[in-house]
Amino acid sequence: MELIGIFKYLYEQLVATGIPQVWVDLISLVASAVIIFGVLALIALFLVWWERKLSADFQQRMGPMLTGWHGLIQTVADAIKLIQKEDITPTKADRPVFFWAPIICFVAAFAVYVTVPFGEGLIVSDLNIGILYIVAITTFTVISLLMAGWGSNNKYALLGGMRSAAQVVSYEVPMIVAILSVIVFVGSLSMVDIVESQALIYQWYIFRMPFGPIAFVIFIIAATAETNRTPFDLPEAEQELVAGFNIEYSGMKFAMFFLAEFINMFTVSAIGATLFLGGWQGPFLPSWVWFLVKTFGLVFVFMWFRWTYPRLRVDQLMEFSWKFLLPLAFANLILAGWMKYSGWFNW
Amino acid sequence: MTEGLRTEEFQVNMGPHHPSTHGVCRFILTMDGEVIVRAEPVIGYLHRSLEKICENRTYAQCIPVMDRFEYCTSMCCNEVFALAVEKLAGIEVPEYAEYLRVIMMELNRIASHMIWYGTTALDLGAITPFLYSFREREDILDMFEMTCGQRLTYNYIRIGGVSKDIPPEFIPKCKEFLATIDHKIDDYERMLTENPIFMVRNKGVGTLSPEMAIAYGVSGPSLRASGIKYDLRRDDPYSIYNRFKFDIPVCHNGDCYDRYIIRIKEMRESAKIVRQALEQLPNAEVNTGKMVKANFKPAKGEVYSRIENSRGEMGVYIQSTGDTKKPLRVKMRGGSYNQLQVMPELVKGVKIADVVAIMASLDIIMPEVDR
Amino acid sequence: MFGVEVSQLFFYLLSFIIIVSAIYVVSLRNIFHCALFLVLCLFSVAGIYILLEAEFLAAVQVLIYVGAVSILMIFAIMLTSRLANKKIMQSNDNVTVAIFVCAGFLLTSLGSFGYTVWKVVDSPLPENNTLTIGKLLMTDYVLPFEVVSIVLLAAMIGAIVLARREKI
Repeated sequence: MELIGIFKYLYEQLVATGIPQVWVDLISLVASAVIIFGVLALIALFLVWWERKLSADFQQRMGPMLTGWHGLIQTVADAIKLIQKEDITPTKADRPVFFWAPIICFVAAFAVYVTVPFGEGLIVSDLNIGILYIVAITTFTVISLLMAGWGSNNKYALLGGMRSAAQVVSYEVPMIVAILSVIVFVGSLSMVDIVESQALIYQWYIFRMPFGPIAFVIFIIAATAETNRTPFDLPEAEQELVAGFNIEYSGMKFAMFFLAEFINMFTVSAIGATLFLGGWQGPFLPSWVWFLVKTFGLVFVFMWFRWTYPRLRVDQLMEFSWKFLLPLAFANLILAGWMKYSGWFNW
Repeated sequence: MTEGLRTEEFQVNMGPHHPSTHGVCRFILTMDGEVIVRAEPVIGYLHRSLEKICENRTYAQCIPVMDRFEYCTSMCCNEVFALAVEKLAGIEVPEYAEYLRVIMMELNRIASHMIWYGTTALDLGAITPFLYSFREREDILDMFEMTCGQRLTYNYIRIGGVSKDIPPEFIPKCKEFLATIDHKIDDYERMLTENPIFMVRNKGVGTLSPEMAIAYGVSGPSLRASGIKYDLRRDDPYSIYNRFKFDIPVCHNGDCYDRYIIRIKEMRESAKIVRQALEQLPNAEVNTGKMVKANFKPAKGEVYSRIENSRGEMGVYIQSTGDTKKPLRVKMRGGSYNQLQVMPELVKGVKIADVVAIMASLDIIMPEVDR
Repeated sequence: MFGVEVSQLFFYLLSFIIIVSAIYVVSLRNIFHCALFLVLCLFSVAGIYILLEAEFLAAVQVLIYVGAVSILMIFAIMLTSRLANKKIMQSNDNVTVAIFVCAGFLLTSLGSFGYTVWKVVDSPLPENNTLTIGKLLMTDYVLPFEVVSIVLLAAMIGAIVLARREKI
């Protein structure tokens, strides 16, 4: 493991002060965690506001207008409200499980960002297992949802939790296979290597005909399902399950699930931008601006889906994943492997 | 070996406080995983004893009570009661008033179908269509408000006519509405009709065979979606419906998708009727009819009147003794009641998500069931 | 990246978590809690792998044991409500037999640890061990790799056949 960019600079500054190595290590760990947390909390707050404004635009409403300029600090006000709320635990709930579920969900959502490159040199640690690490950490979200479903001791919550587990597990497979077809070309799991292999626009993996666009579409569909958004928002289907796994949660614990959901949406968009859209690469503007532009572009696509589509049924969802998406993803992987091997379009 | 792998059945209580039960309907669902084994509707959460209340009021006082019978289409509720009493007492309604009644009822039908369109989309997880359809419904409610001062419970169609004439700004507003409505319905269709997710959720789901529909007394759009061309506006014309040209849309599969198509088409047909009514509206004499007084006593006898409501056949049976100002017996019939009864048959073996879709497509609302 | 002290601190912390959670897995009476502690235990093992600079193994450990095996277990527990509500017995009548088996296992493993001559390589670890593992799997060990995948495929088909309701 190594530190990169600004994190490396901070690390060197700490070493220069001459304090013992143990403290340097610990302080740099905590500092990078705090920086990432701060940036992401801001992004999450912004995303909540943006989603509300976008949905308002799609529905010919105004959305929040009163708190701040065009309701910009509405989310802050909502967060403060949620913190003040009473934290209710149902009497018959499995208390420790109920307590830990939102925390695990929240932490897992943030832990991914250890290896997400926000820009050239703006990465906490360029793990050589980069993308694999991200995929591994996201599985904790599933466990937290199952814990929430179980711990609430509520039938709707249980159904919601089980649905989400079944859904995320089934969509993880085509998603990983779609990611793999890019990995085959890069020859490395490191996020920085992935970005650096697409320096020019025709090298972006979305433009590598014919496997790139297919992998991208599979990735976007699977990512929508992974983040439990419409048309795959079954775990939270209001009309069927009232609210799903988070039905018994209130106050800060609910806010944690809520924010984690938006962070997860940003995560999959960031991965999509990194894998298929060239990450931070782009002319003129600073690298982090390009990264944010691409990521927010994908976030917009997810929001667009949400305010346009109805919801699928749970068995249709499973069928779509296993009978259509997965075979397609495998065929695409073989195609990508063949393209790499034969050197076709291998620029 | 496989015998040991049976999963356990469990019960889920859906409603009365559930976001998609259209009022306060309650289902006790016995489920095997996500599949419904049995469904048992529990009704009565919205019971207000309307029939008994009517029996303790004079005939004129019953009209506002009828408003609450099926509050999505209060105009039609007013009409069905007024029609019954007019039949019983042999009251003639002036032509002008009849036209106003038809305009109001058809506008109300469109508004009711708009509620259905929005909530159906909502029940299937699409939120945006709801706000689109409620935007146009708002226009209709504005027209009602300028006419009778109310937006939901109108008390407009009275025994013997209508309560007052339309204001002068009504006709331009209505014409403007009719000019854009087809385009707006196109918008609605663009959002759902060809949407693959919407189609896969609705096609082949909750198929109601014509035999079963007749056996359960299902009426209205849900019956026509099963392939039976039966519409009281054509088959038992009341008011002046025989003067208008309109199609009765029929589909043949009887699934949720067909019930959707039927209602979308009906909105267009209703707009057609309103257009014709506005053209034919006699300008020469403005006669909104003579209201009955509080001491009005119809002759001894019994009467049943029925009209085509947006949710099926709506009927009122009145029995009068001839010597009191109050009806002896009032019985109401609402289409939703029969459609709720057929629900347990339709939901057997489907997923819990389909229960919501089927209920939305049958357009059940609870005040009409519980009365 | 880190100094020796911090690595050691993490090692002891992780070992402690592994031992405690492993004890909880076999001693708690609520089976859902047992499963969650198993998740914690397996995750901490992944942490140990990270300390040993075997990142690929760590990620796979999390992906397979936490992401697949544990979720499957939790799923099974949640689906069988009879199992979920009952407090389970963590000991039974076969204590004597179990003691003998455990003692035998302990002796054998201690013996094999003691007698094995561990190869210690002085040269630094390969920079990118993921690449190396991948190359080895596709060259030297391709036969075992494929055999394992066929075994897994057979197991998968077997599970599907067993779970089918209607007889074939």
